[in-house]
Amino acid sequence: MFIFEQLYIFFQQIFILIANPINVLILFGSVLLGIIFGAMPGLTATLGVGLLTTLTYGMDTSTSMVALLAIYVGAIYGGSYASILINIPGTAAAAATALDGYPLACQGKAGKALGLTTTASAIGTFIGMLFVITIAPLISAFALNFTSFEFFLLAFFGIIISGTLTSQDLVYKGWIAGFLGLFLSCVGRDQLQFYPRFTFGLTELDGGINVVPVLIGAFGIPQIIQMLRDKITSGEAKRFQRILPEFTEILHHFKDIIRSALIGVGIGAIPGIGEDIAGWVSYGAAKNSSKHPERFGKGELSAVISTETANNSCIGGAMIPLLSLGVPGSPPAAMLLGALLLHGIQPGPMLIYDHPLFIPQVGAILLLASFAMWITGMLLAKQVIKVLRIPPPVFMPVIAVLCVIGSYSLGLQIFNLYLMVPIGILAYFLTEMEFPIAPLVIGVILGPMADASLRRALMVSKGSFLPFITRPVSLILILVILLMVVSQIPWFKILTKRILNRMFSRKIDKNIS
Amino acid sequence: MKKKELRRADFITSILLLLFSLWIIVETLKMPMKDTFGGVQNVWYVSPALFPLIISIFIMILGAVLFLHSIKTGGAKYFLDNFSLRYKGLSEKNIRFIGILLALLTFVYLDIPRIDFFISVTLFLTYFISVFYFDDKDLLKKLTLFYFIGSIIFIILFVFDISKIINSYYGYFIDILALFFYLSYVIYSWRKVRNNQIYKKRLVLSLLVAIITPLILCPTFRYFLLVPLPKEGLIIQFMHNIYYFLK
Repeated sequence: MFIFEQLYIFFQQIFILIANPINVLILFGSVLLGIIFGAMPGLTATLGVGLLTTLTYGMDTSTSMVALLAIYVGAIYGGSYASILINIPGTAAAAATALDGYPLACQGKAGKALGLTTTASAIGTFIGMLFVITIAPLISAFALNFTSFEFFLLAFFGIIISGTLTSQDLVYKGWIAGFLGLFLSCVGRDQLQFYPRFTFGLTELDGGINVVPVLIGAFGIPQIIQMLRDKITSGEAKRFQRILPEFTEILHHFKDIIRSALIGVGIGAIPGIGEDIAGWVSYGAAKNSSKHPERFGKGELSAVISTETANNSCIGGAMIPLLSLGVPGSPPAAMLLGALLLHGIQPGPMLIYDHPLFIPQVGAILLLASFAMWITGMLLAKQVIKVLRIPPPVFMPVIAVLCVIGSYSLGLQIFNLYLMVPIGILAYFLTEMEFPIAPLVIGVILGPMADASLRRALMVSKGSFLPFITRPVSLILILVILLMVVSQIPWFKILTKRILNRMFSRKIDKNIS
Repeated sequence: MKKKELRRADFITSILLLLFSLWIIVETLKMPMKDTFGGVQNVWYVSPALFPLIISIFIMILGAVLFLHSIKTGGAKYFLDNFSLRYKGLSEKNIRFIGILLALLTFVYLDIPRIDFFISVTLFLTYFISVFYFDDKDLLKKLTLFYFIGSIIFIILFVFDISKIINSYYGYFIDILALFFYLSYVIYSWRKVRNNQIYKKRLVLSLLVAIITPLILCPTFRYFLLVPLPKEGLIIQFMHNIYYFLK
């Protein structure tokens, strides 16, 4: 009954949204902008959402959500253009697409590949949306039972899992980044006693560090420095005739699409894990389940379809923890969280009571965005790829100006810029040393929740830590966190390897006998 | 970064992290733990120091793990073997990095708070685009040095409050000075690239982008989004005059 009610509100929201021509205009404009952002190497979906947040500040919440979700969907899809046509991923999310997309373009099948990725991305977004409207309210309802103990551990869990999965070098580098983010969130007057912490006597820091300038700095400035310092240039784009939707091919790969969409949603729902990991996992899964794994890397259609379905369905997945728990599922979702807070919407379990229409509205926008993306992709792909000709030294400085004016316009404080630049430079050095940035950002966002929840929880228990292990959900969270931490210790790895080896060798022995 | 260099960087980072965590602990110990603050009697578990203290302990532990790992993998040895205070010259990548930092830092900390926003953006973009678009190490060095010297002059003007004295005679004097600096940069770069057709084209494109961008951004933010610009000086005031005259 609950699901039918949600679906009814969902369709109602679709009609309300498309009844307003301004919304439709903003929808298509933002999707197009997103595709351009995604297509240009160096510009990411996160940066696109962040920069647009500053322009949507004056709009009403639903219109701004149309703009932000549309640019998010468009940018994740747009990344495939550069991957397929120039072999440089437009966004990290499309990195796996380049492996087979570019060989397809070299075989003269660029139009076909783009047609498939367009349709697969639209289907991926659609499936992700289905999960948002059905699962998010259920998780919200469940999370209503959460108390401060669980919220503290949830924040901790978010940082640990995001650090574990996004770290490319040592896992604990991700955790360090997360704790640095938590430290940044401590700056300013604390929420319970208004005691100034790490403010150095600066009144501008009393209110804490603004999230959006931090996000713009952390994601924008390292990109600018990297592109210009390392002379990253876009190559010559492969030519193609026209893009075809290729519905028969899509039907032929239906199994790949469903599997990848589920992988995308699942990975998106894990805090702080972005579309890039969804793409890679989906690529691996497609290769493992393929009858011809040897074709992967040489222009396999199912590979391109799988990665693009997964990274777009990840958007819906990332919205689930964001809306139901207030924990962003991916870096662009972290930006969205900042935007929601600016519009006075506090995501979390209370969202279904404070703004009962909001989750179906997000679902409706995702559905409309996937349609807009499909139409724009089919009609304007040829025009959009012209932006790939713009050399990075020309557009990157313009992006820097947009970062600056964007950060300034939120709160009209030059001090935001004074923070944005050093955080950006710090993020650049951290990236160079292979510290992931997503946990840092998640830390900045979840820090206030973790701090206040821990102290409230201890206030209730009068300083006792016992409820952390006597409450079932918090016990589960503690065990998962411990398992993640312990699993990085060498002797634990050896032990589990031995146990697994024994288990499997027994199975093999049984099969032989 | 290569693995060896990465481990060396890990070694330095881990030391910095350990020092940083120590600093956090020292700072948090100054916060009220059991004392009263604002008339409220504290208990340790409600203290504002609790959360930063936990974070600092985790950073310290993880920093120590990173430190040990860097020693085990040879990062510390690589650092000590290659440690030298002798100046080895700058690679092109590092010069580019300095150029980027110079552009960003002067734009945000020097120009935006004090010089008309339109002029600040134009100056920033002209330098930032041209210097990297030429893609020539020699030009990069010369133009960066020119821009750096110009910025030093502005720093002197601002630090010693000379700008205030000059501006008291004529309100937009610093803006005019910035315009003069912009023009001299353009002339200097033109002289440097006049014999090369490709560079000349690139300079023209840089100048066009540097003018068109603020021409779109300033009215959009000022009149459409109603965002007052950080510093509204000579050009923005002129823009106001045109806007209200037309209105």
